[in-house]
Amino acid sequence: MSDGTTQSAADSAARGAAGTVGCRTRFAGLAAPGMPAERLGRLAQALGLAPVAEPAGPAALAVLLTGADPGSDADELWLPPVAAWIEPPDGSDAAGLVPLLAEATGNDLYLNLTTATAHDLQLGGRLLAALNARHRLDGDRRDDLELALHEAVSNALVHGNLGVAGMKELSAQELERFSRDLGDRLADPTLAARRIIIALRIDPAEDGPTQNGPTQNDRALATVEVTDEGAGFTPGPRISSGASGRGLDLIGNIAEELEIGNGGRSIRLRFRL
Amino acid sequence: MDYGIEVRDQEAVVRLRGRLTFNDHAKLRTLIGEMGQNKLKRQVLDLSSLEFVDSAGIGMLLIAREEMDRAAKQFVLRGAAGQVKRVLTVAQIAKIVPMED
Repeated sequence: MSDGTTQSAADSAARGAAGTVGCRTRFAGLAAPGMPAERLGRLAQALGLAPVAEPAGPAALAVLLTGADPGSDADELWLPPVAAWIEPPDGSDAAGLVPLLAEATGNDLYLNLTTATAHDLQLGGRLLAALNARHRLDGDRRDDLELALHEAVSNALVHGNLGVAGMKELSAQELERFSRDLGDRLADPTLAARRIIIALRIDPAEDGPTQNGPTQNDRALATVEVTDEGAGFTPGPRISSGASGRGLDLIGNIAEELEIGNGGRSIRLRFRL
Repeated sequence: MDYGIEVRDQEAVVRLRGRLTFNDHAKLRTLIGEMGQNKLKRQVLDLSSLEFVDSAGIGMLLIAREEMDRAAKQFVLRGAAGQVKRVLTVAQIAKIVPMED
């Protein structure tokens, strides 16, 4: 690919995002643990990015992950300057990655992974580490945010993409059923290939004097959207007398706002940091 | 998560370590079986080395409590701290399962 088209791929990625939520992250490089250097070089060039062997430096990087790669759970892959984690869709080339990078450009942190990969990565903790590296959190608030992120991600994976029903009765048989369903569905290639998309934006505290003294607005605001490809659900009164059903309540206790959208396939959370 | 069971005179103490999440379903099934099999009437889950629990983890603790009830055994949660204590408190688990410091 010539330099001219290279540039236009990167530009169109930026423009695609700018049309919706604006450019928040300008990616400079692309890393891909386990990918042969030659292939990474080709992909990076086609996307107008620099191929990067090890994450370093200040400029934002996108990482391509595939579930089978050893080292995709290395801690440094989940810290700055890495700001996007993308599992390339099967058989996709650079053109297939352009729209995903465009989405990433419109966010501060962005993940787009298959269920199979996401299931193995403890994403709640990873996201918390990535967020904490950009906006220091401490103590109880840090624990709470990790739990809320973890619950949103596990709901999307388990109940959304894998369609496993929660444990209703309090019995070992019900735990066994949950365990079996989870194993069976993860082994189903169609369900395991469903995507989870996580987009996180951090907005600074609102400056300026307020009439009523300090308010909540003097703290930065994080907005997280978790989207799955499952059947969705209809939000309704939640029953938490069984073994399942507490996740959304716990999130609701922690987040300032919780909004279910897209027929139950996405959840948007807002947290003051 | 992993665990170790120590059988004492009056009680069996199961110490959980690490993170208890939806992903630990297989271990919890095994653990509940082991707690049912030992002869002691009092089964204590020591949570002092547990770092993190999620809503499914809480559900599995409640299933363990129910199964111990069926086996006519006492079931106690002991030593919850940090995030684990906060979540168990928010979910009001002390109303359902006896908790000790």
